[in-house]
Amino acid sequence: MTTRRWVLVGAAVLAAAWILGAEWSSIHAGVQENHLLDALVGGAFIGAGLVAIDRRPGNAIGPLMVVFGAIGYIPNWNNLGTIPLFPTLALASDMAVAALIANIAFVYPSGHLSSRLDRVVLWIIYGALGSTTLLAVLTLPRPPAGCDCAWTPLFAPNPSAFAFIYGLNQRLPFLLVPLFLIAVVLRWRRASRAERRALRPLWIAVALLAVVFLIGAFAQPTSDTTSNPFAYLMWEIRGVIAIAVPILFVWGLLSERLARSAVGDLVVELDKPMPAEDLEAALARTLRDPTLRISYAIGGERWVDCDGKPVPAPAADDAAGVTLVERDSEVLAALAHDPAIEPGLVQAAGVAAGMAIANERLRAEVRAQLEEVRASRRRIVEAGDAARRRVERDLHDGAQQRLVGLSLGLRMLEDRCRDVPGVADDVGALQTDLRAALKELRELARGLHPQILTEEGLGAAVESLADRSPVPVRVMIHDDERLPPPVEATAYFVVAEALTNVSKYAGASSAAVAIARSDGSLLVDVTDDGAGGATIGVGSGLLGLEDRVAALGGTIAIESPVGQGTRLHAEIPCM
Amino acid sequence: MCAMCSDTTICWMERTMLIVDDHAGYRRQARALFTSGGYDVIGEAADVASGVRAAAELRPTVVLLDVQLPDGDGFEAAGEILAAAEPPAVVLISSRDAGDYGGRIGASGARGFISKADLSVGALEALLGAAP
Repeated sequence: MTTRRWVLVGAAVLAAAWILGAEWSSIHAGVQENHLLDALVGGAFIGAGLVAIDRRPGNAIGPLMVVFGAIGYIPNWNNLGTIPLFPTLALASDMAVAALIANIAFVYPSGHLSSRLDRVVLWIIYGALGSTTLLAVLTLPRPPAGCDCAWTPLFAPNPSAFAFIYGLNQRLPFLLVPLFLIAVVLRWRRASRAERRALRPLWIAVALLAVVFLIGAFAQPTSDTTSNPFAYLMWEIRGVIAIAVPILFVWGLLSERLARSAVGDLVVELDKPMPAEDLEAALARTLRDPTLRISYAIGGERWVDCDGKPVPAPAADDAAGVTLVERDSEVLAALAHDPAIEPGLVQAAGVAAGMAIANERLRAEVRAQLEEVRASRRRIVEAGDAARRRVERDLHDGAQQRLVGLSLGLRMLEDRCRDVPGVADDVGALQTDLRAALKELRELARGLHPQILTEEGLGAAVESLADRSPVPVRVMIHDDERLPPPVEATAYFVVAEALTNVSKYAGASSAAVAIARSDGSLLVDVTDDGAGGATIGVGSGLLGLEDRVAALGGTIAIESPVGQGTRLHAEIPCM
Repeated sequence: MCAMCSDTTICWMERTMLIVDDHAGYRRQARALFTSGGYDVIGEAADVASGVRAAAELRPTVVLLDVQLPDGDGFEAAGEILAAAEPPAVVLISSRDAGDYGGRIGASGARGFISKADLSVGALEALLGAAP
């Protein structure tokens, strides 16, 4: 047994002596009541408090219950009427001890206050009871002459002020109890599911305390208690109920230990292989917290969720409800959960699920890498597009402008030389060559990245492709909304390549382009009535496009039975 | 003086021109081309803002307007210039093809489009001669 246990056992023995002494004092003084019941009420509080101190060290509820139980017996000792100072202490105990019950209720189960409202209400309760108690002690009247009373300090004896203050104190519960109940109800309303579960013993205790309070207010025994059997019975019932309160508190405080048996079920459940999201669900079930989320640490301070998507690094913090799962001093994962769940329980669940979490983390890491590869492929496509756009712009702003200027100059020269035989013809021939060069340059630029795609979008760009096609092309565009540039460019190049193939190889008399959107994907169909037999093979130009489409997470397929035309179908996610 | 002018054409002698293009070299050549063709080139501008301002101040009868300008595009500029009372005829020019701009040329309200390489007095007159 540890020293702490010994201290607790010693405290229990002392408490028993204190209680038995108090009851002995009452019997000795001739007080008529059920002494056994009276002993059990306080004993229950002190005993439950000691258990709470033992099992939940650092939690204020244990000490509060012990102090409450112990202070409650001062009036019994005072019945002897001979212990110095005890008349004052008994008075203070009688007037102020109820505040401790409110304190226990407000800090249950965590041991600290959970809101400003609770703090304010608790201060009001302590302030009201404490200030009336202090004033009563200060105005305590002088004992009657000749009384063989125990010594008690006198400050400003004033019988009428004392009577007023004491009466005020005894009526305060009619104000303070409703205030207390309002705070308790508001706390219920803002509590999370797990908190509500944890607070359940408190509600029962509060209800019981209310019964105790009502009985106390209306059935207070008088000297003729024994002659009024009903009042006496009520008083007994009050005592029995009062015993239940500390037991409820300590049971609630320790019930998270009971919940640990759910961790055992988790171990059995995890024995079967399960998909990633089921691990999260299983942990959520075990801890009875549907908001529970797992994030995995995948090296280099990076964190991902079970799909491998990056998430912000969680800070290990009990108050925020984040518990780290570690193995061989390496952080595997973090469980984000309702902060009201006892940290030890979450840790136990994390340890039980350790192997499954380690496996899941590897899978999440692979998913994250895959996601990265996908993203980098997409970036490569985007960078390529950007480069092509830049070159197109440079061609347009540079060589093309110069040639255009040259063309204007030649035209003026042509005008001036109209009358010089031979020269005008030569200039005209130069003009024709220059026009051909400009046309080639424009086509080159358009092949790099068509301006109309940037300006007008996919629909207009496809229409212009169809206009230039030697084979008649029917274009059907459903929903010509602007899409991200890589998606538009990819769809455009697919159509451009397909139409080039149609005019070069298919021997078709007509073709059709259909562009539609479905389920977040862009569907591109290019069909012709040509010879068929086309494949996405080397030299078709579609191979490079297949990579490009795949880089955006899309697919491209070709159906081309010999003699029955060709249908090219591409699906590109719109991101 | 303009007895020869019909209602559907802009009077020859009153043809004043504003050239809006960010390439100074091209502006110079266009000015030479149209001056020798009998136009009075009364102003040049290099961007949308100064082009729109010059059109309002100088009140030319023809504005040659480059589609791609540093601070915007000729389509917007055409809209602003054409919003004036008695607006000039706006002719869009570009070193790109008309096909590169799809339906925007038609929607701009401009009189027409001439590829920069094909710009000539004849090409301009053909556009201006057509009913607005």
